[in-house]
Amino acid sequence: MEFEKFKQLVTEEAKALGLAEYELYYATSESMRVNTFAHEINEVSSSLEGGVCFRCLVNGKMGYASAEELSAETAARIVRRAQDNAAALESEEPEFLAGGGGTYRPLPPQVGGMPETETLIRKALDAQAAMYDEDPAVIDGTNAEMIGMRDTVAICNSRGLDVSRERCMTALVAAPVVSDGQEMSNAFEILTGDAASMDYSATVKKAVQAAKGKLGADVAPTGAYPVVLGPKAVASLLTAYSGIFSSENAAKGLSRLQGREGEKIAADVVTLTDDPFYKDSPMPADFDAEGTPTRTKAIIENGVLKTLLYNLKTAAAAGKETTGNASKAGYDAPVQIRPFTLALAPGALTEAELLEKAGDGVFVDDFSGLHAGANPISGDFSLQSSGYMLEGGKKTTAVKSFTVAGNFYTLLNQITALSDTAEYVFMGGVASPCVLVEGLTVAGK
Amino acid sequence: MIAREVCERVLQRAVSTGADYAELFAERTGDRTVRMIDRKVDAVNDVLIAGAGIRVFKGLRSVSASTVDTSEEGLLRCAQRAADALGEGTAEISITLRERVFGERHPVQIVPSSAPNTQLIEILKEAYFAAADADGAIQQTTGMLLDVDHNILLATSDGLYTQDRQIRTRLHLTAVAEVNGETQTGSVGPGRRAGLEIFGDLIDLKAAGKEAARQAITMAGAGYCPAGVMPVVIDNGFGGVIFHEACGHSLEASSVAYGTSQFAGKLGQQIANPKVTAIDDGTIPGAWGSINIDDEGTPAQRNVLIEKGVLKTYMVDKFNGRRMGAAPTGSARRQSYSYTTTSRMTNTFIAPGEDSNEDIIASVEYGLYAKDMGGGSVNPATGEFNFAVREGYMIRNGKICEPVRGASLVGKGSEIIQKIDMVGKDLLLAQGMCGASSGSVPTSVGQPMIRVSSITVGGR
Repeated sequence: MEFEKFKQLVTEEAKALGLAEYELYYATSESMRVNTFAHEINEVSSSLEGGVCFRCLVNGKMGYASAEELSAETAARIVRRAQDNAAALESEEPEFLAGGGGTYRPLPPQVGGMPETETLIRKALDAQAAMYDEDPAVIDGTNAEMIGMRDTVAICNSRGLDVSRERCMTALVAAPVVSDGQEMSNAFEILTGDAASMDYSATVKKAVQAAKGKLGADVAPTGAYPVVLGPKAVASLLTAYSGIFSSENAAKGLSRLQGREGEKIAADVVTLTDDPFYKDSPMPADFDAEGTPTRTKAIIENGVLKTLLYNLKTAAAAGKETTGNASKAGYDAPVQIRPFTLALAPGALTEAELLEKAGDGVFVDDFSGLHAGANPISGDFSLQSSGYMLEGGKKTTAVKSFTVAGNFYTLLNQITALSDTAEYVFMGGVASPCVLVEGLTVAGK
Repeated sequence: MIAREVCERVLQRAVSTGADYAELFAERTGDRTVRMIDRKVDAVNDVLIAGAGIRVFKGLRSVSASTVDTSEEGLLRCAQRAADALGEGTAEISITLRERVFGERHPVQIVPSSAPNTQLIEILKEAYFAAADADGAIQQTTGMLLDVDHNILLATSDGLYTQDRQIRTRLHLTAVAEVNGETQTGSVGPGRRAGLEIFGDLIDLKAAGKEAARQAITMAGAGYCPAGVMPVVIDNGFGGVIFHEACGHSLEASSVAYGTSQFAGKLGQQIANPKVTAIDDGTIPGAWGSINIDDEGTPAQRNVLIEKGVLKTYMVDKFNGRRMGAAPTGSARRQSYSYTTTSRMTNTFIAPGEDSNEDIIASVEYGLYAKDMGGGSVNPATGEFNFAVREGYMIRNGKICEPVRGASLVGKGSEIIQKIDMVGKDLLLAQGMCGASSGSVPTSVGQPMIRVSSITVGGR
């Protein structure tokens, strides 16, 4: 069944049940992935998924129900169940649906659209060959994966909101495995862009060099010394702790930032913005999960917390305007709050000058196990890390299997300098320069 | 869900370009979560997931395609997409399906999906308020009750046509405590492959709530764990996450088949301390990670992975098994129809040993006692893993002393598994969700109390 027909059935059902305020959120995601082993295609998978979420206000409570199949039976089911589910709720905070008529910034033109399977196969095999050509240490198990994605979202409601968008993205995941005959190591880099014209040479080189760099890595010595966090490491931390900027978490005591707007919460050098149209992001967003137009906002400016992130409900409770940060973890999830692209503003030092300022310490390329080692409520973290020792301001020995421990709220004040160039990190959707932090504890040998 | 004759026609279409194997996986899953925060029910997540995935193999190439359209026309289109992506050719096999019924090892008395919201809320509240009202130090509590009714259908070109219903129920609570300005959390998450009957004798709701609160308060009053290399005693239950991360993932065909596992090519070799026998058992009645059949239609098995330190078998799915020349072990799993199946764990645990808990604690002069663990992760190629200690205590002179917080353990699986040098007797399983390429699937971890003679403790 087409969505327009389904929408009509849902509307009729909602009216028949006497519902006055309701909304339909429809999302689809189409993907094609091609991965390689040795010099052959190993797996090709195409997925077509999506679903509808109906929500309605009953006595001021917002009930939700979702389904994947667009049929007359589902239309009736989700309306009835959403009404039932609303009756079960006890929360007394007023809920709202957005009205129509907003002004939306146009999305940048999409490059290339959804690529053909043949293009993905050819590109994956070419990139795979390029990884083997890059270095004789590259071994089987290396995988060049090409991914084409298209997602669509449409939101319409009884208040006249009717918005939709379609986005496409193509990505290469270059994941080399290298061996020196004694041990293996691996790494990955992600490149997005138009499939046909994608130039992956720099990405392949970077990934292979990163994997090779970890061969023979030592365990870092235990101690407290200056730590430089690379863009991927900062992205991991900011992603794990982005929930502290949610006004909902703050109001519920799950973030320590309640009532801190306008106060100093970070070092002077820290400026953090949320930019739904960040220049390097392959997935810009013109409206949020409630259909509100998105906008760029400073969250922290020169160390001062300028604003938390709001949706319609939390903004009304705080007597503010929504910041357009309503989000859904999936089409079937309730509306919550999250940033789009967090961008940490670059500082004044070149990367070389930043490392020199650090002197003797450790450079952390990346963290692992954030879902376990970073407590989003207390702010405490103790994370598996990999990177390089810094001696006299220069990267020396590769190090791995050590931890870096601290507290995120404290860390915001322990940042002493940032490098002058930000890098967009696809995993997490965060842009960051290298960051020098004092006062973290390193545990290793 | 889908008639046998329709499945035959769909599979016939799927093999029309020369595939030597085809599989249709269809599902219809009701998934409901009731959530509480601030002492109130604030959300009921309620979704009906329905769709199908079709997979074809030709030699060492696999093609899969999924769709939300489970009408015959929709399935035929999906099969054609898979067949086209495999390449050009003509059908070499013909499909005849015969229905097979596998036994139900996991009887359910109270099917949660047929219970009204009010019944779920009543259960959740009993546990929730036991946590929220346990102590004045508890500042916030979040709770949820999960009801999953997962119905799957499998039809394969080797003639199998079968269905299975997988019902799961789980409670999850997180309590947030503040003691002298320090905020910490405590969590519990008991669940079973069973219905609402588990709440009562099997899972005491009030005790679960009090446990979350106790852990939060204990940790809020704790100092930071010191950093360094030391012996660590890891308690039973969720402590088993050490084997899951340090070793389990590296025994899955998804990394072994490609040589990207620290344990590839080591069958029959001593890879662990002789004290270690480790098992992945998908047949345990009612256990959280149990299945009747896996997501390729292979019956669940009890696989002894490591016996007295010697590697006995890997966990193998059909496609990766081709590359390895190994038979499937009932380990193929996927979160839903839109993920591509691969080999995964079910209920994985270290078998009971001979040491007493008292002897294990008494053997440590200075070290860490990890009473409860959080999750972790691993890079199977290198074996480097991490996991978090949710509740820890220092051990001094063979005695458990003050609580410590913020610790994590890191190491290399192949080294750590040799250092498990004491194994207790009190095996206990605990429940978690494991994420990998085929999505998030329910798995149990478990072990008796163990000692790791030395490991890096990430603290401050």
